[in-house]
Amino acid sequence: MISDQAKKQIDAWVAKYPEDRKSSAVMEALKIVQAENDNSLSAESIQDVADYLGMPGIAAAEVATFYENYNHKPVGKHVIRFCHNISCMLNGSDDLISHLEDKLGVKTGEVTKDGLISVKKVECLGACVGAPMFQIGDQYYENLTAEKIDEIVDGLK
Amino acid sequence: MAKIEIEIDGKMVRAKPGEMLISVTDREGISVPRFCYHKKLSVAASCRMCLVDVEGAPKPQPACSTPISEGMKIHTQNEKSKSSQKAVMEFLLINHPLDCPICDQGGECELQDVAVEYGSDVSCFSEGKRIVADNDIGPLIQTDMTRCIHCTRCVRFGAEIAGIMEMGGTGRGDHLKIEPFLTEGVTSELSGNMIDVCPVGALTSKPFRYELRSWQMNSTSTIARHDLVGSNINAQTYKGNVKRVVSGDNDAVNETWISDRDRFSYEGLSHENRLLEPQIKIEGQWKEVGWHVALDYAVKGLTSNILNNHQSDQLGVMASKTSTVEEFYLLQKIAREIGSENIDYRLNIKNLDNTAKLESNIKLGGLEGVDHALIVGSNPRLEQPMINHRLRKASLNGTSVDVINSMKFDFNYQLNSENIIAPNQIASTLAGVLSSVLASVSIELPDYLQSIKVSKESASIAEKLNNSDNSVIVLGEHVVNAENSATIVNLIAQIAKHTNSTTLNLSTTANSLAAELTGFVPGSKGMNVNAMLESDLKAYILLDIYPEYDFHHADKAIDALNDKDNFVISLNGFKNDIVSEYSDVILPIAAFYETSGTHININGDMQSFAASVVAPGESKPAWKVFKVLADLLKLPGFNYVDSTQITEEVSHQAHNNHLHNENIDLSITSDNINIIWQQSPYSIDALLRHSGSLQQTKIGKLNFAYMNASVAKDLGVSADSKYLGVPVVITDAVADRCVFVNANKATQTGGES
Amino acid sequence: MNEVCFKNLDKKDSWSLAVYEASGGYSVWRKILRGELTPEQIIDELKASGLRGRGGAGFPTGLKWSFMPRNSAGQKYVVCNSDEGEPGTCKDRDILRYNPHAVIEGMAIGGFVMNATTGYNYIRGEFIEPFNRFEGALKEAYAAGLLGENISDSGVDFNLYAHLGAGAYVCGEETALLESIEGKKGQPRFKPPFPANVGLYGKPTTINNTESFASVADILSKGGKWFADLGVENSGGCKLFSVSGHVKNPANFEVSMGTPFKDLLEMAGGMRDGAKLKAVIPGGSSTPVLTADVAMAMTMDYDGIEKAGSMLGAGSVIVMDESTCMVETLTRLAHFYYDESCGQCTPCREGTGWLYRALKRITDGNGKDGDIELLLNVQDKIMGNTICALGDAAAMPVESFLRNFREEFEYYIEHGKSMVKG
Repeated sequence: MISDQAKKQIDAWVAKYPEDRKSSAVMEALKIVQAENDNSLSAESIQDVADYLGMPGIAAAEVATFYENYNHKPVGKHVIRFCHNISCMLNGSDDLISHLEDKLGVKTGEVTKDGLISVKKVECLGACVGAPMFQIGDQYYENLTAEKIDEIVDGLK
Repeated sequence: MAKIEIEIDGKMVRAKPGEMLISVTDREGISVPRFCYHKKLSVAASCRMCLVDVEGAPKPQPACSTPISEGMKIHTQNEKSKSSQKAVMEFLLINHPLDCPICDQGGECELQDVAVEYGSDVSCFSEGKRIVADNDIGPLIQTDMTRCIHCTRCVRFGAEIAGIMEMGGTGRGDHLKIEPFLTEGVTSELSGNMIDVCPVGALTSKPFRYELRSWQMNSTSTIARHDLVGSNINAQTYKGNVKRVVSGDNDAVNETWISDRDRFSYEGLSHENRLLEPQIKIEGQWKEVGWHVALDYAVKGLTSNILNNHQSDQLGVMASKTSTVEEFYLLQKIAREIGSENIDYRLNIKNLDNTAKLESNIKLGGLEGVDHALIVGSNPRLEQPMINHRLRKASLNGTSVDVINSMKFDFNYQLNSENIIAPNQIASTLAGVLSSVLASVSIELPDYLQSIKVSKESASIAEKLNNSDNSVIVLGEHVVNAENSATIVNLIAQIAKHTNSTTLNLSTTANSLAAELTGFVPGSKGMNVNAMLESDLKAYILLDIYPEYDFHHADKAIDALNDKDNFVISLNGFKNDIVSEYSDVILPIAAFYETSGTHININGDMQSFAASVVAPGESKPAWKVFKVLADLLKLPGFNYVDSTQITEEVSHQAHNNHLHNENIDLSITSDNINIIWQQSPYSIDALLRHSGSLQQTKIGKLNFAYMNASVAKDLGVSADSKYLGVPVVITDAVADRCVFVNANKATQTGGES
Repeated sequence: MNEVCFKNLDKKDSWSLAVYEASGGYSVWRKILRGELTPEQIIDELKASGLRGRGGAGFPTGLKWSFMPRNSAGQKYVVCNSDEGEPGTCKDRDILRYNPHAVIEGMAIGGFVMNATTGYNYIRGEFIEPFNRFEGALKEAYAAGLLGENISDSGVDFNLYAHLGAGAYVCGEETALLESIEGKKGQPRFKPPFPANVGLYGKPTTINNTESFASVADILSKGGKWFADLGVENSGGCKLFSVSGHVKNPANFEVSMGTPFKDLLEMAGGMRDGAKLKAVIPGGSSTPVLTADVAMAMTMDYDGIEKAGSMLGAGSVIVMDESTCMVETLTRLAHFYYDESCGQCTPCREGTGWLYRALKRITDGNGKDGDIELLLNVQDKIMGNTICALGDAAAMPVESFLRNFREEFEYYIEHGKSMVKG
């Protein structure tokens, strides 16, 4: 089930593309529906999106599993997407990821017991001159240190 | 277009500019290895196996996606080509299981074949191999996705040919996985072709799983007889049994695809219900006897019941529409030589008093070239899958398609309009079309059209036909039992005539065209099937008839045949209780694949085939039985040595079809609820009904009576009840005052309301 | 420094229409709308400027624009590639954040030249802040009557939309990007046909990088020659370099083509903590790594970097000091390509996994004799055998790391531990 609110958001994206190319909006539609469902996509919601945009379910599933921004199992309310690619690695991201894992008591890929936070190692996020960095929601956090991480994580509710 | 010259491996070759290199090398017999390339699918260029050296290009180029141009020099065998091809081969093998001896594809595997030439004896890959979990994708296709090499032929087949994207590639990179979505698996009516296109053992035939190696089997080419296409197929046999069926190539007929129905029906051949011995009924008790005894008994029965009494016109002969040309011809010849013209195959037609026939005058290949199609009364996707495939190809090329149906169906192409109308209203819609067409060419309206009001829909359908240079009107089976079916046929013929449209009659399914050609229809002094059933005939010869499925008036037919004074000779491939009850002699006959014969398809091609296997037990090809029976009856003109003599004789005395006339009666209307009764696509003949795997599919399980809520209320049924023995589905997809039935079981009502 | 894309960087609200216009922004576009510039003039000026594609391939922009069948009937598209994802690269993010109108004006000009009335800017999915800035700028431009249909009664139409990605490096490949806009997996298309003939939705399409588009308006207002003279022969203009890694002040620098690497390093504050330079990847993770000596003698332009044995790429300079373990660094890069391969081509799908697994085994202490030859052999078999350049991009670092730092790999294989870290 896609909410009316979500449908309105999807429609705004659909409007950007030629009339017979509704499926161009599938990537955003999946994100919108994912946001409505605790940040993860079930097979049913992928099918819902496909139906809404008039495309085969498997075609939407291909998209949902090809791109990295979709989750297919439960994640935390906040997902810390920690870059571990070269510039961040050179600037100590591995140690900081360990620090974060220790602090939260979870490994990357896991969710904290209270369901609040999960940590994911990701590839380059395109903020290499601010390495090490991570992303939470829409926000980038750059030039991270252990102290800065503590402060950011402690502020998550 | 002028041809150009290119050089391949030092040899000058002429080709069309822009042609892909691989089609040139294929034509010239130059071997270039490939996995993702398939001549009937779009180019993917992703397996990289066909990389060859093109002079001037820094990198090796894939032959499948390299358009040729004048003066191009290509090396398919030099070091650069070979090293790229060997590199790709090595990559393909690192994650592919190297256990060909336990793989079902072993011996007919493209990967195995190419590896012999391009593979290396030793692998330096020492990391863990990828393992892919399998999903159950349905009863027809076995998956073993660890063997998948990601060529995406099955994905492209679904999206491009089947017209329903069921397989896809999820994930990416190393995690790319070819699979269907959700749990329904693969349901397309053409799904089995994925087995043929899969180059490895990832998708194999589930019914054939672990049965045999390909090299153990003999392959015979034959013709599928479940529809009016007559797809070319190869039956693979072992020790007298058909073990698997794969598609054959014939661009004019089925190209390289076949329907699941044609691919998997062979399973019925080995069903325990096969009739194996001739039987005669003595004082109500069945007794298995030898052929001589059985045929003597048959001859005696005919002699005492009709011949001795000079009542030869008391013989009725009927045959299933799946019969061969030879079978139809010999049986009608027997009847006529005896002196009866009571001959008919149209068992499922409700009213034979006022019929009209629409000719088919367009070939399968021609369908792809039309610019507009009007489909009336058909769900072509399930009923005639290979014809639907041609219509879909046309549609993808821009052909517009209008539909007049009594239920919304799942078309796998875009429709210009879909008009959902009860069968009895179709005539008035078509009359509106005709009226509109005539008006546009300034022809005076005949009397019967004077009072017709042209609806918006009719006008728009007419306009499309008028504006098309090359349109076709396709008539399906759904209107054959409408009360004014003759009027519908005649209206279509008139519309076609005035719009220069071709026509395609899908109601002549299976081998009906052969019945017409061989004269397997009542003669001027003869009776049609419905009349025969009313006439207490003294003797019948029935070829492969299963009354509860085949007759429209099933109850009436069973009653008539059970009359204790008549003598019934039945020739059947499968046991049937009702047949046993009314017959006096039952002769076991060869089924599909077990007899030689001829099928006539919609192109008019007379496609002859040999038997692929010998019929089981004592069963014999029906044409041979008829020949012996004729000899025993001392009828002249049955001195055939082989079946080709019969087809030759047939071609010398083709019967005239009585075609449409202009007699159109629009006054036939009724407020009755219209019933369209159809056997489900996988239940239309005895062999299919005995094919286990097909029956397990979604299409095989179609057994529903669809109607809208108001009709359900009038009929006093609800969603959890049955109508005519078939579970009710309440849906707005069906026209009002109409019930559409797809039945996969027998109900003795046969659709009679 | 900071003369084109970054010229307003130090101004407050540099991303606003007011600041952009105050520095001459949209003057070229308005000239076009007044009918005072022809497509031919624009293409000539671009050719004279020496501008080459800033996304990494370095194809001359003027030439690319001249390939579009501008007079063919039917819809045509102009697409901006802001799918910045090559490790080490983060310049387009800043252009979108600080100078989005330059991208809009560049795309509009491109649309005019190529007779394309619709444009899409493909912004990587994680760039929400840049996306919002770009959307804000679009809103301003529409409100100011600079975009839309029959703009200022000129008869010129141009509608521009932002499309967001969803996390796939390979979409930076232009045909994968088109597939992605079409709502499909980002799998690169084989070529030919090229996008100029069969592009977005099957229509003629031109795709340029964000920085390329952002440079167009200034080139046209100040002249192709002015731009060319900022750089050196064969590398016209200035270029954004993202300098990251072990430097004191990592940042983006817009400097003239031909600037010596050692000057660029100095701008970034030199090596951090006085450490010694060990290696430089000059153009993003796909380009061959260079040793310190070679890098210090190199100038930052297409030919200069090629002479040094690598490529300018997207201008993504990754600086490594002596504490860097080259085996572990290469393993991380190999993981990246393994993770980001789209999976369609056999050599890339299978080869990137093989490279990563073999390197992972080495860094896990399980290397064995012959592994170096194996790695070289596998990368060689990927190289040149795939549809897009991702295969080559995965192969090149392996070859260059092994060539320049072979002893570190030999040590790791023999001792099961890093030569650098111990």
